[in-house]
Amino acid sequence: MASASTSKYNSHSLENESIKRTSRDGVNRDLTEAVPRLPGETLITDKEVIYICPFNGPIKGRVYITNYRLYLRSLETDSAVILDVPLGVISRIEKMGGATSRGENSYGLDITCKDMRNLRFALKQEGHSRRDMFEILTRYLVPSTAAAPLPLFAFLNEEKFNVDGWTVYNPVEEYRRQGLPNHHWRITFINKCYELCDTYPALLVVPYRATDDDLRRVATFRSRNRIPVLSWIHPENKTVIVRCSQPLVGMGGKRNKDDEKYLDVIRETNKQISKLTIYDARPSVNAVANKATGGGYESDDAYHNAELFFLDIHNIHVMRESLKKVKDIVYPNVEESHWLSSLESTHWLEHIKLVLTGAIQVADKVSSGKSSVLVHCSDGWDRTAQLTSLAMLMLDSFYRSIEGFEILVQKEWISFGHKFASRIGHGDKNHTDADRSPIFLQFIDCVWQMSKQFPTAFEFNEQFLIIILDHLYSCRFGTFLFNCESARERQKVTERTVSLWSLINSNKEKFKNPFYTKEINRILYPVASMRHLELWVNYYIRWNPRIKQQQPNPVEQRYMELLALRDEYIKRLEELQLANSAKLSDPPTSPSSPSQMMPHMQTHF
Amino acid sequence: MFSLKPPRPTFRSYLLPPLQTDDNINSEPKIKKLEPVLLPGEIVVNEVNFVRKCIATDTSQYDLWGKLICSNFKISFITDDPMPLQKFHYRNLLLGDHDVPLTCIEQIVTVNDHKRKQKVLGPNQKLKFNPTELIIYCKDFRIVRFRFDESGPESAKKVCLAIAHYSQPTDLQLLFAFEYIGKKYHNSANKINGIPSGDGGGGGGEGNGGGVDSSQKTPLFEIYSDWDREIKRTAASGWRVCSINEGYMISTCLPEYFVVPSSLADQDLKIFSHSFVGRRMPLWCWSHANGSALVRMALVKDAPQQRKIDQRICNAITKSHPQRSDVYKSDLDKTLPNIQEVQAAFVKLKQLCVNEPFEETEEKWLSSLENTRWLEYVRAFLKHSAELVYMLESKHLSVVLQEEEGRDLSCLVASLVQVMLDPYFRTIVGFQSLIQKEWVMAGYQFLDRCNHLKRSEKESPLFLLFLDATWQLLEQYPAAFEFSETYLAVLYDSTRISLFGTFLFNSPHQRVKQSTEFAISKNIQLGDEKGLKFPSVWDWSLQFTAKDRTLFHNPFYIGKSTPCVQNGSMKSFKRTKGNPGT
Repeated sequence: MASASTSKYNSHSLENESIKRTSRDGVNRDLTEAVPRLPGETLITDKEVIYICPFNGPIKGRVYITNYRLYLRSLETDSAVILDVPLGVISRIEKMGGATSRGENSYGLDITCKDMRNLRFALKQEGHSRRDMFEILTRYLVPSTAAAPLPLFAFLNEEKFNVDGWTVYNPVEEYRRQGLPNHHWRITFINKCYELCDTYPALLVVPYRATDDDLRRVATFRSRNRIPVLSWIHPENKTVIVRCSQPLVGMGGKRNKDDEKYLDVIRETNKQISKLTIYDARPSVNAVANKATGGGYESDDAYHNAELFFLDIHNIHVMRESLKKVKDIVYPNVEESHWLSSLESTHWLEHIKLVLTGAIQVADKVSSGKSSVLVHCSDGWDRTAQLTSLAMLMLDSFYRSIEGFEILVQKEWISFGHKFASRIGHGDKNHTDADRSPIFLQFIDCVWQMSKQFPTAFEFNEQFLIIILDHLYSCRFGTFLFNCESARERQKVTERTVSLWSLINSNKEKFKNPFYTKEINRILYPVASMRHLELWVNYYIRWNPRIKQQQPNPVEQRYMELLALRDEYIKRLEELQLANSAKLSDPPTSPSSPSQMMPHMQTHF
Repeated sequence: MFSLKPPRPTFRSYLLPPLQTDDNINSEPKIKKLEPVLLPGEIVVNEVNFVRKCIATDTSQYDLWGKLICSNFKISFITDDPMPLQKFHYRNLLLGDHDVPLTCIEQIVTVNDHKRKQKVLGPNQKLKFNPTELIIYCKDFRIVRFRFDESGPESAKKVCLAIAHYSQPTDLQLLFAFEYIGKKYHNSANKINGIPSGDGGGGGGEGNGGGVDSSQKTPLFEIYSDWDREIKRTAASGWRVCSINEGYMISTCLPEYFVVPSSLADQDLKIFSHSFVGRRMPLWCWSHANGSALVRMALVKDAPQQRKIDQRICNAITKSHPQRSDVYKSDLDKTLPNIQEVQAAFVKLKQLCVNEPFEETEEKWLSSLENTRWLEYVRAFLKHSAELVYMLESKHLSVVLQEEEGRDLSCLVASLVQVMLDPYFRTIVGFQSLIQKEWVMAGYQFLDRCNHLKRSEKESPLFLLFLDATWQLLEQYPAAFEFSETYLAVLYDSTRISLFGTFLFNSPHQRVKQSTEFAISKNIQLGDEKGLKFPSVWDWSLQFTAKDRTLFHNPFYIGKSTPCVQNGSMKSFKRTKGNPGT
């Protein structure tokens, strides 16, 4: 009896909090309206339902469906439950119960979401309300298959922001920041019309000594023409991280002189080490198996001056199944009795560990090993993107700022053709599609693990990572739509949609980590050991009101207070110094700058 | 080779970076410099030169050269070599980087690799081979390894035997704290009245907050007024301080003063006390602002009397409640893991963290951790305490903790409940007073449970479990605690330093009895004092500089307005990472 009463007690005190979570995305909402609406959002229908809340039991409410979201408001006076779910988040809608169902609340809809939750609504059997709701949701979920094709909401969204997120990433500027072009590396426009490779960006950085003709010949030997191109160059030792897809070796062990020569040219841009290091992200058995379908890896015989390592990261299917298991143990109920071994059996943290370990190896090779590195998996758009972007995050503190991280995502993921549309399934009802996989989520999880281990190294906070993941699914912004740059160009995404970075950058304060201390040149090597990796509870178990952390976070509040106090003291000190120097009527000596004083102030922390 | 023993510099140059080889290590002044730092009463028992301390798992470039010393307080490795891979931001003033207090030693293993022999050294044992290696397993999860390849074989053997002998004393009075305090009394006898002063020798009244503010003293609950003040602080009307145990006349495992329901007269208590195990009658711990009280007591052993006594006690507790609320009884023996189970879990946890190869445990880390059951037990105590918090706070019921002897699980649960409910106990001084009140004074058997004499079958890390549970709360409510993770770690380390009286005894009575005996044997005049006043752990200035003590403070602490903290759910629990292992 005692335990039951405790949970009641706990849920009671935390309940209100879960319910107050209305606006996480900074939209001004007209309180007089029943449903918050974005510019361009229109109400389609509303229905009375019973929301079967897994934590608080059935709640009578009214559900509103717009062309962007499903919104539920409780009709019960003692409960303020609100659900606000963008339609893009919905992965699957199932009818539960039939005409003969007798049990209470057994007739209705069961909605599976991409963000680790399920929603259940019980509806009245009379009046076809379930059929209506099912059909409307399905139509808006998969706009393109509707009788009259509807665009994704991102194309109807009329939100205006005072900054334009589409201008955040400019490849020329980013490469210039890295010191490119230089006399070893040049920018090429060979892919301007996406003719060389339709899943690559228009602008590429390649070895100075490789001609455009060389590039075309190399493209024939790389899966989907994804040739090795530069991702990042070390500012001091000038070693590089290069990304590509697997070579088309095949069963016969084909070789390609141009590819071999091209890799040698890449190697020669770095004079410090006689070998080029190749990281094949896959387990070696998978790499071998890929030969059967025409792929493969760089053999020692063909590539004398390269060293190949396999990183043992599994493919998209393994990751998808692993995340499913995570959901099984956290939603709706958290598997309490054998939590740690259940968590272990999902292998999710083990996969996180392998991805991080791989990225650490890449970063370490470039930085300490002074060797240029080539990274690929099969097609070079999933594991490769994870590895290059994480390694860059470890090596280059620029990417740890808010805008820097946006640039990193924009560059290594969006422009280099991570297939967001296929992996997430935007506007696609085929929820069992084998192409779907939480690769980007896994990357964000790795970033979160790093931010946990280096709490002062990142300008952004956890909310920043969560809002990115929320809008990965929401289809409110154009940022993550489509599979590659060429498709986005065809659809004129930057003209017709709003960028997620517009929302974030116009409201940056909300996403800032108060503990951030800017450090140039610091390389972060996270500890990729099971002893240190944790499940990201605030994301994966955020729907469970009993697991939620205190909000607002008192630590952050306290830190803000301390920062304000510090600023105040610095100001007062400067005033005193000024008064003092005036009194002495000496020629004003420059007062010691605040930055010089900071170390003293910080010894208290 | 010109001599049997190669000159050391040659060897050194072979193993260490060339930069240091030109240093003539073997010269007289250099050796003279390698002197141990000794405390009053501390003597060097044995020592051996040219010892190599292994830092990494294999013989490597990190090895340090120096002298190994065994004193009656610690083993000390003295070296000129800088410490590689510096780990800690603070330094203990009593111990060097390489020192291990004798009470921290768990097991001593000597090895001879030529003869492929290995022996675990107990006290007073013989060693039939000359050791080439000494491995010390420490209670704080450290493993320290020394190599004697270049040392004199006989002196190496002697040091090993000395360590084995001195770290496994047969009598409580052989622990260093007695030697130290004896010396202190003798030294100060020449000065003032035989009361040690200066560096915080007062186990009785001393003990500052550990922070910068030394004006705030930790109440030790040795005297009447501390209890009286606690009653007033918690506005516990209906409760009074009782003095019937003065001079330990009633029970040797109770404090001299404790708090009881006002409605129970001394005469009644004296009669009732015979029915309780260890005569441990109900002791008041704390009162909620709503008047509900937390009480702990032993079982009534007298079966026919049980109902009647239980009834009388409950009535008295109800009478002390302003709303006359009922009493909620919690039988801890039936609801929580026992001390043997906790010990077994701890042994497994240590095995996992220290002994097993890193790579092998890595793959199955989470399930292996789960299998130790340590976190499960941490959770069980937190969860049960949270339930009692609910009874006290929301149901307005007084809670009685019942346990056979009432001096193990009760200590843990009583303290956790108070940490959760009362922000005062989340301050440094408050937390220290809580440990005095619910552990030291309540007769938690530190001597047996910490196994300071290394022959006890009664070892169990309940105190560590309490600190771990507190750490879990600190992780979940980072703004609610004045102290930091560092403070908790340092506090636990202090239980392994046999200089302080705080964690040395099974009861306050034992301290008085043993130290009086010792004082008589050493001809120390005690005057009016009840036993020797050992240094208190709470006098942190003995161990750390004021600068290092700032690390005890949690910068995120919001003094007031932190709500009652409680959460018994597992997933938000963290793995304890603090303990350094090699």
